Amino acid sequence: MTSFASRRWRNLVICGALSILIVGIHFAYSVTLYRTVFFSGWLLFFVLLALASYNVRKKLPFLPLGTSSSWLQFHIYIGYLTLVLFAIHIGLHVPNGWIEGTLALLYVVVAGSGITGIGLTRWYSRRLAMRGREVIFERIPAMRKHLREDVEDLLVRSAAEMGSTTIADFSSRRVLTNQVIPFLEGPKNFFWHLIGSHRPRDELLTKLQSQDRYFNESERKIAQEIGTLILAKDDLDYHNAHQLVLKYWLFIHIPLSYSLLILSLIHGALASAYRESSS
Amino acid sequence: MTLNVRIQRPARLDMPFSHETSEEDVDRVLTFPPFSHMDPAKFPSHAPLREILLNDTRILRYRAGDIVVREGDYGNSAYFIMSGSVQVFLNLPKSILGRKEPRRKGLFNAIAQLWRNPTQPEERTLSPDTGVSRVKTRYDKAGNAHVFLQDLPVILGEYETNRIEVGDLFGEISALGRVARTATIVADQETELLEIRWQGLRRLRLFDQRLKEDIDARYRERNLKVHLLQTPLFQHLTLEQLEEVANQVEFQSYGDFDWYGPYKAIMSRSAAERLDHEPIIAEEGHYPNGLILIRSGFVRLSQQFGHGHRTLTYLGRGKIYGLEEIEHNWQSEARISLKHTLRAIGYVDILLVPTHVIESLVLPSLPSAQLRPLVPSNTRHVPVQRDREHERRIDPDFLEFLVDERFINGTSTMMINLDRCTGCDDCVRACATAHENNPRFTRHGKRDGKYLIANACMHCVDPVCLIGCPTGAIHREGFHGHVVIDDTTCVGCSTCANSCPYDNIQMVDIRDENGHLILDERTHAPILKATKCDLCVDQLGGPACQRACPHDALQRIDMSDLFSLSNGPN
Repeated sequence: MTSFASRRWRNLVICGALSILIVGIHFAYSVTLYRTVFFSGWLLFFVLLALASYNVRKKLPFLPLGTSSSWLQFHIYIGYLTLVLFAIHIGLHVPNGWIEGTLALLYVVVAGSGITGIGLTRWYSRRLAMRGREVIFERIPAMRKHLREDVEDLLVRSAAEMGSTTIADFSSRRVLTNQVIPFLEGPKNFFWHLIGSHRPRDELLTKLQSQDRYFNESERKIAQEIGTLILAKDDLDYHNAHQLVLKYWLFIHIPLSYSLLILSLIHGALASAYRESSS
Repeated sequence: MTLNVRIQRPARLDMPFSHETSEEDVDRVLTFPPFSHMDPAKFPSHAPLREILLNDTRILRYRAGDIVVREGDYGNSAYFIMSGSVQVFLNLPKSILGRKEPRRKGLFNAIAQLWRNPTQPEERTLSPDTGVSRVKTRYDKAGNAHVFLQDLPVILGEYETNRIEVGDLFGEISALGRVARTATIVADQETELLEIRWQGLRRLRLFDQRLKEDIDARYRERNLKVHLLQTPLFQHLTLEQLEEVANQVEFQSYGDFDWYGPYKAIMSRSAAERLDHEPIIAEEGHYPNGLILIRSGFVRLSQQFGHGHRTLTYLGRGKIYGLEEIEHNWQSEARISLKHTLRAIGYVDILLVPTHVIESLVLPSLPSAQLRPLVPSNTRHVPVQRDREHERRIDPDFLEFLVDERFINGTSTMMINLDRCTGCDDCVRACATAHENNPRFTRHGKRDGKYLIANACMHCVDPVCLIGCPTGAIHREGFHGHVVIDDTTCVGCSTCANSCPYDNIQMVDIRDENGHLILDERTHAPILKATKCDLCVDQLGGPACQRACPHDALQRIDMSDLFSLSNGPN
């Protein structure tokens, strides 16, 4: 089996060779005074169409059309190739018409989201694997609710079993109302998690620990259990934030890709029509 | 103060095979040879003959046409004919037995799944089965399902059969060796069979020399030479030499046949305790008294390391152990002892070829190029099966995890590299699309480091889920050997789901096209069906999950192939 590193090098070399070939053909056309913009434009359009066909492959998992990972490799490296094609097509100038401008902007966002997506899938999946247990995204709300119920049970237990309300009073007045319960109620600290910071979690735990002096031994154990549940909730939020990004970056990439294709077709048709009329 | 409840430790005989077996039944059984020839004095006090018959047997009554065992079934019982007779069918078409061999969909039918897939979960059509199956299911008074051939006289005229009658024992090799039944047995009249579960059969064989010799002779006659010939080491022997080797082979069994029940409890113990629980087959430092051929099950190969043992690898069916040491001692004056300890994981059946037989017959027959170099006396690392290079690439902790959790049983274990998995669920969606919008696995399971073993059927080497299926609905399909469930013959008894040690079989409520639950007209309870991964056996491209993973994170791995394991989703 080819290792991922050698596969990456092989694909980069192929992609580089193809880029050189395209630049060469473009140069050859330009020498013949052919309007190379049509060559690069239509080539770019069909390459974009080929890239979009990956989504069709995903809808047909039961057909022997090659593995999705092979298609993704094709998608990534041919995607890199479009950067060269796009640069040739616009002649490294900022387009000035509104269709051309919108089209260029769409391309930049689609290509940019694609490249960002590759980075995210490689980087975030490792981060998720290193943090806590495997969490299924759809189960996060139920797991969060479960954790909240566990904390509430602990608070009730501390009052009922020990006849002491220090934790409940303390929590209900300060940390519970303002910090712990809101923290448990929904996904929190989205951006902190994305940048890998533990600051909000550590602050909450510090606040809880600072109340240690008011607890007796049994209450201290309960407070420790609450601390453990806070850590578990923080792990859930971490998974939620990363999995959300991993799922939703495609919501930018795919719809804009279709918009790009449609607008490219209109752009190509208009350009060809004007070319006919001008000639 | 906590009050502990004290009870008598549960013993094996506390759970008899059948509560209906009576002392009168035992008296009756003891009138038939070979039971009448058994000497009760040869049986130990903790396992007297009568107790074995009372607790490990039951009398089953069959009508003409009732199927007793099907070819390909896995069973853990042998049968003794007490009255009536049965017909033995070899190579009876599976379609007749109600098993539809999965056929790959054509291109149009594959694409049509896009719009034909039902909208309701677990939707089933209520139209009668129009297949060529000639079996029906009936229930006896106790509610047990029996499958019978509808037109036995016609089928008897169509296929070659062999009749066996009162006093004959059948199914013992399959029951003791946990191998698939090689024939279909059908009652051809009102027949009484004594079903002997493996525990009882093993004990009867252990304490009654005549029965042991009889069973061993049958195995030697039917299976042993074929087994030996399949082992490259014996392929250079002449037929006479092979016969001589076969006559010297010893049959040995280790471990618990019902490993799939207790192993989860054992998992909570420490690593050392878990190892202590595994019976030792051969011990490091001992003289190699024979070549060990693994006939069924798995063994752990470990080596003393510090104060514990380190697992080096595991060996399964068809692998051999001890050859390197025997070969070395045959070639050199400087003797070496066994370099590893071999332990039974679960239930293991081995063949032991004594050292003197290997030295006098087998090694001289080998071409000199096939003989291995001597093992340096100062090394502890004797190569095993020559694939140690791959084994070294597998993380030792991960190997321990796979062995401890019994994932080594899988031939298509779903392994996910979490370093690459983005949780996109393309695998789950692909699985659902290929199975009428019902995913047949969950992307969840036990984890070690970056690897997740997902809850997907592993299509085990030792498929314990097949044991006890009353209708044979769960079976190995003929072509690839994948474990599949025939939905039409599944009666929803949950035996397979309860037996699966990995929780990879789900029982589901089925619905009609309007989403209404389909209920049993007698009990009004929902009809259940067993469902699990079938490796997309009817799809054009094979397992959709693996092909749908964009990041090469998911792979189906054959655990018996250490090369593919070492190259897994890394």
